[in-house]
Amino acid sequence: MAIAVDNDMSIFSLVAGASLPVQLVLVVLLITSLFSWWYIFIKVATIKRAETGADDFENAFWTGGDLNKLFEGLTASRRKSQGMASIFEAGFKEYTRHKHQPRMEISDLMEGSRRAMRAAYNRELDDLDAHLPFLASVGSVSPYIGLFGTVWGIMNAFRGLSNVAQATLSQVAPGIAEALVATAIGLFAAIPAVIAYNRFASSVDRLSVRYESFMEEFTNILQRKS
Amino acid sequence: MIRAYEKDVSWKAGALAIGVHVVLLAALLISFNWKAAHPVLNIAEVELWDSLPKNSVQKPERTPKPTPEPVVKEMPKPEPIAEENPEEAPNADIALLKKKQELEQKKLADQVKKEKALEQKKQLDALKDEVSKDQPPKDKKPVVQNDALKKLQQEALADDKSEGDKQAVSAKAAANAGVVGDYINKIQAKIRSNVNKTLCGEGNPELKFDIALLPTGQLSGSPKLIKSSGSGACDEAVERAIIVSEPLPLPEDKSLFSQFRSLKLKFRPND
Repeated sequence: MAIAVDNDMSIFSLVAGASLPVQLVLVVLLITSLFSWWYIFIKVATIKRAETGADDFENAFWTGGDLNKLFEGLTASRRKSQGMASIFEAGFKEYTRHKHQPRMEISDLMEGSRRAMRAAYNRELDDLDAHLPFLASVGSVSPYIGLFGTVWGIMNAFRGLSNVAQATLSQVAPGIAEALVATAIGLFAAIPAVIAYNRFASSVDRLSVRYESFMEEFTNILQRKS
Repeated sequence: MIRAYEKDVSWKAGALAIGVHVVLLAALLISFNWKAAHPVLNIAEVELWDSLPKNSVQKPERTPKPTPEPVVKEMPKPEPIAEENPEEAPNADIALLKKKQELEQKKLADQVKKEKALEQKKQLDALKDEVSKDQPPKDKKPVVQNDALKKLQQEALADDKSEGDKQAVSAKAAANAGVVGDYINKIQAKIRSNVNKTLCGEGNPELKFDIALLPTGQLSGSPKLIKSSGSGACDEAVERAIIVSEPLPLPEDKSLFSQFRSLKLKFRPND
């Protein structure tokens, strides 16, 4: 086995020269990385939208305008309301529906609108939590997948070394470099996923606290009104 | 995959995700110098020999044989030719024939010369081959080789290895290895003749002993059992046989003793 002295270590030749399991690992990692980044950007956009939506709605709500007008404005808009607005909509709709019914106890009225708001809140939270489990598993698993590819590649590199009488570093170096590409991609997929997961989880928590406190306050206002 | 309310951002997010990966790839390509630069090295390979004398003793027996022979052959050849010429010269008494004879002689001489030259050339070539086969002409000399030679040597080494690394000695020491092997066989045979085979029972047990020898053939220290046959009686029988076999046969050439200082011997008493 002659030494390949002029080995071109470009990343493409490294990947092309890798064994099939390593290539599979690379492909899997690349796809997961693409998906996790895609979800990260989607989540960034949607959570930001939910936050600005909550800000806007709180501004509109606490300026002390007529609740009926606010409700009509929300229902009149073509788009389905989201976030805090949808909670408000669900609660207020339930409230007005029961208000016109005679012989309705106030506590029942409150309970009804509260249940409606809780349901809307759960739906909102489910949307906010979407894709977070995926990011969590990418963050925890992809380093291992990368490590698997690396171990496999290094095993191959050393096995090739056993066939030569004089072992030189240049015989294992390409194999190890190609194997380490797998770890690099695994980490590249995992690190942003973990960071994003933690950030999104805390953002979702804060939003859910905001929604809950809004629900309580709105119940109080409705109770005062009735 | 994605929710309805996420559809309007999904395209933008997808483009951004691909962009991130393109940036990563670009960073990989730019920040690393992937072209591995291999400066052309003038590699001098040095072979280290453990003990020099064992070769210098064995060598004259082997290598000189082919070399003197051609020389001897070369010498007598011209002689008969020289004899032939004077023989033929007196025969050509007749004046008429003389000229013819002379011509013939010339031709003959030419032919002989040619043959001689050819022969010499062949011999030279053969010699050269011989020399190149016995690669390091004077051992212990650092051999400086160019790249091509180096590759060749590596291949040769690899071949040697694949042949079944009998001994990590180079081609030169192969002759010695033969002698060493002979004596190891003699030692084993002597020991085996002393083994009480009945103690080893049926079957074909194999055991290994590590023994240390003195230059006199005496054991230094007691033999060490490396691999047991499985029955203690058999192991003991072989050990007793080793002790009884003292002094063990050793080659007269003391320079080879270094290979006998510590021996690992394999026994199959029932073989």
